[in-house]
Amino acid sequence: MEAPPVTVMPVTGGTINMMEYLLQGSVLDQALDSLLHRLRGLCDSMEPETFTDHELVYLLKGQQGNPFILRARRSLSHPNTPWHLRYLGQPEVGDKSRHALVRNCVDVATSHNLPEFLNEMGFRMDHEFVATGHMFRKGAMKIVVSKLSRILVPGNTENTERLSLSCLVELSVLAPAGQDTVSEDMRSLAEQLKPLLHLEKIDPSKQRH
Amino acid sequence: MGVACVCQVPVAEGKSVQQTVDLLHKKLEQLGAVKQGSFCVDCETYHATGNVSGQPSKLLYVMHNSETPLSCLALFEGGPCLVADANFDVLMVKLKSHFQNAKGHKVECRGSRFRYCDFLIKVGTVTMSSSARGISVEVEYCPCVVPGDCWNLMKEFMQSFLGTSVPELPSVFAAKPEGLFAPADCVDTVTQYLELFNKLRKLQIPGSNVR
Repeated sequence: MEAPPVTVMPVTGGTINMMEYLLQGSVLDQALDSLLHRLRGLCDSMEPETFTDHELVYLLKGQQGNPFILRARRSLSHPNTPWHLRYLGQPEVGDKSRHALVRNCVDVATSHNLPEFLNEMGFRMDHEFVATGHMFRKGAMKIVVSKLSRILVPGNTENTERLSLSCLVELSVLAPAGQDTVSEDMRSLAEQLKPLLHLEKIDPSKQRH
Repeated sequence: MGVACVCQVPVAEGKSVQQTVDLLHKKLEQLGAVKQGSFCVDCETYHATGNVSGQPSKLLYVMHNSETPLSCLALFEGGPCLVADANFDVLMVKLKSHFQNAKGHKVECRGSRFRYCDFLIKVGTVTMSSSARGISVEVEYCPCVVPGDCWNLMKEFMQSFLGTSVPELPSVFAAKPEGLFAPADCVDTVTQYLELFNKLRKLQIPGSNVR
């Protein structure tokens, strides 16, 4: 049993800030098959990955300012895989001509007691939903086509109801800060999906009531 | 991963922390143990801001163990322990307005790692703000995962080089029902280190004997 390397863990400063570049759109259920067919042709790998995930959104209300939001996601189709905890920052305000929404992103894989732990930290669950669909990859780009369902009884993922008759489509790339060429590749893929699907930059802060 | 026990070793009479550590190394080498690299266990303390005044603020401990270098353990004393990947530290930076890092409370335990047949022994110096506060010894019996089954063997082995400083069955195992096994994720080991760090933190006089 060799000794693992003893590394000095940098906590502040030196860690790379990952940014998520995002474009979103939707298609009606009737158009889903055509979209999947087109994506199969445009993207890498023969068959897309299917998934069924349960996502819980937690809020931590501070003394001032907006509540801190964390998203906890687990796979219902692969129950033994770790939970995925995600922090998404405010969208970067800047270059209006930039094609995609850019925001800071921190992804952490965790053990299965994540909800209990977040409650202990002071977070409270705001809402939860089930997402099921397909995931495609093209180079560094990830395209996720999901059907979202509302959970009727808290904690019960069997009993769900579709939120709408459309599918949400998200095109995203995770890259270190400053790599703006990424949004060019995203724009060109988005062009190839028109007019079946219109992917655009949707600012989440403008959606809040 | 086997069953690990972490205990504190008092500093030898009239000797410094470093001298006591050297004595332990010598004893282990005489037994036939082979030095195999080094190890480090560290602990950062965060306290929740924004609590109603009058209520004690909850303390969140974020620990790293060099045996599991890609993981990070976050725990509340007596509460749930989350095993996460190294990005959890980055998340704590983002949470700094809600959880403040008590920088003066960072504790580190560093030292050498020894291998003796099926045992892994780690002798470390516990430091707090660059002052040595005590000595820790972790003994892990690798082939077994049920604490109750190997505790007597571990105790006998520890007696051979620790003499009278042999501890009782750690409370993390005593609290488990008979026969339950130690999980492979270091949670029990790290919980024992946390108990040791907190005990050493409360001591007014640092490790060396003052007469």
